[in-house]
Amino acid sequence: MNNLLKIEWLKLKNYTAFIVMTIFFLVGVFALNYIVYTVNKNIVRNVPGAGLVSFSPYNFPNTWQSTSYATGFILVLPALLLLMLFTNEYSFKTHRQNIIDGLSRQQFISIKFVMAFIFALVSTLLVFISALLFGLASGTSFSFQGIEYVGYFFLKALSYNLIAILFSVLVKRTGFAIGIFFIYLGAENIMSQLLNVLSIKLKNENKIDIGNIGDYLPMNAADSLLAFPDNPIKSMSKTIMPTDYTWVVFILAVVYLVVFYLWSRHKFINADL
Amino acid sequence: MEILSIKNLTKNYGRIRALNDVSFSVPAKTVFGILGPNGSGKTTLLGIIMDITKATAGTYTWEGEQIAANDLRKKIGTLLETPNFYHYLSAERNLKIAAAIKGRGEGDIEKVLKIVNLYQRKNSKFQTFSLGMKQRLAIAAALLGDPEILVFDEPTNGLDPAGIAEIRELIKVLHRQGKTIIMASHILDEVEKVCTHVAIIQKGVLKTVSSVSELMSTGAKDTGISVAIEISAADNTAVQNILKELNGVQSVTEVDNELHLICSENITGEMLNRFCFDNGVVLNKLMVKRKSLETRFLEITGKQSDK
Repeated sequence: MNNLLKIEWLKLKNYTAFIVMTIFFLVGVFALNYIVYTVNKNIVRNVPGAGLVSFSPYNFPNTWQSTSYATGFILVLPALLLLMLFTNEYSFKTHRQNIIDGLSRQQFISIKFVMAFIFALVSTLLVFISALLFGLASGTSFSFQGIEYVGYFFLKALSYNLIAILFSVLVKRTGFAIGIFFIYLGAENIMSQLLNVLSIKLKNENKIDIGNIGDYLPMNAADSLLAFPDNPIKSMSKTIMPTDYTWVVFILAVVYLVVFYLWSRHKFINADL
Repeated sequence: MEILSIKNLTKNYGRIRALNDVSFSVPAKTVFGILGPNGSGKTTLLGIIMDITKATAGTYTWEGEQIAANDLRKKIGTLLETPNFYHYLSAERNLKIAAAIKGRGEGDIEKVLKIVNLYQRKNSKFQTFSLGMKQRLAIAAALLGDPEILVFDEPTNGLDPAGIAEIRELIKVLHRQGKTIIMASHILDEVEKVCTHVAIIQKGVLKTVSSVSELMSTGAKDTGISVAIEISAADNTAVQNILKELNGVQSVTEVDNELHLICSENITGEMLNRFCFDNGVVLNKLMVKRKSLETRFLEITGKQSDK
């Protein structure tokens, strides 16, 4: 495994897109949360009548959830990087050369999964550090309550990364793969919103509450585990919303991860390269 | 000893059969050419034995071992089709990746770059290389770790005449060092100059396999091709008359005071000379014409491309 990691590092360290996107992501994590923090502190609280929504997302324990949720918006960056790295192998045909030189197909695809895991882990570590810093900056007393949202963030990061690998293996060409990746994310989001409206109708008109159906779609499963912390107004609307079956969504998110993994692996191991 | 044994390999791409029941063996320490027109299935065959293409049917074994074993591929130096490297990395860094995959140290890198005359450009990015330089780098990568077996697909592709001569010489040197080289090519001259053995493939079908000298010797038994012999004597008319008595002489044509004979495969130069002598004629010229590989290739495959 060490040798495989060394090989990946040799490929990565001089790749300009890796350097640029890593910087963007690092800066992005802190900048994005700082913007939300500042907007909430300096603007929302100064709005007349803001007392009703008096709510500090970066106080402990909210900071774990808020930071995870906000950072989730730029998780597409590491996924995109993974997608570019993998489709480049197809473009340069270096995946073939790596196999010819002596990697097994299993080793080649496995190290890509390990990279997806490492990217997700590093992203999660950044979220943990940011949440901790913003929480401490808020002056509230430290608490681990709500730390599970950092875990959900890891799940979401892994989902994005594994679906990026799946699209790479299926589509192979960088431009097409990036395009299809974004189209899929957009289409699933729209589908999810429509299904969620249907879920509200089912609950309020037919008294059938099976949760938000849109949350059961592949990418939305991991997405929906990370919501912004409830403020009082949002809490009031809960009576008309379908029940959040978090455990069902969590299990589905894990099942989708397994599907992404097995599908990519099967395709790579059995196809002509 | 056989280095590679291929049995009944078949590959279909949808309804197109790229390889059809191909079987042959590659003896150790030979330069084994796989010759065929464009689209005949040479690269598909090499792709299968290097595990980047899946065979529809059939098997192959390297050194008697059932392969899929990537460890064995680490001991084979391979250049398949086009040179495949990371465009944004230098020649040296690309070779570091290849060396790491092969589990070799980086000590060889300088040596192989010097062999292919790329040492001065070791820090240049691959994307800045000409086609010939890319090909040289691919050969350098194949030479990493001093492998006992080398697989080259069109190794002189993109090289200038001097480069082609260098690579052909390199292949001969590697052969003299006792290495086994499997080389696909559609360049007949290249195979004739470099290879000791040859397999000819056309439209995915193996047409013949033998040593190059056997293949080019006239009268190969597999095709029943006739022997061409040129003779001359002080009295060519007398020779023509006595040759009528010799079974196997199919035609005699006089060209510029020489007789050009087409004979069946059982006629040898020695036999012809003795026959003439026994009949009182002394030949002052006798030349059994050796056919070029090109002639033999066209006789075996016909003149059409496989595309």
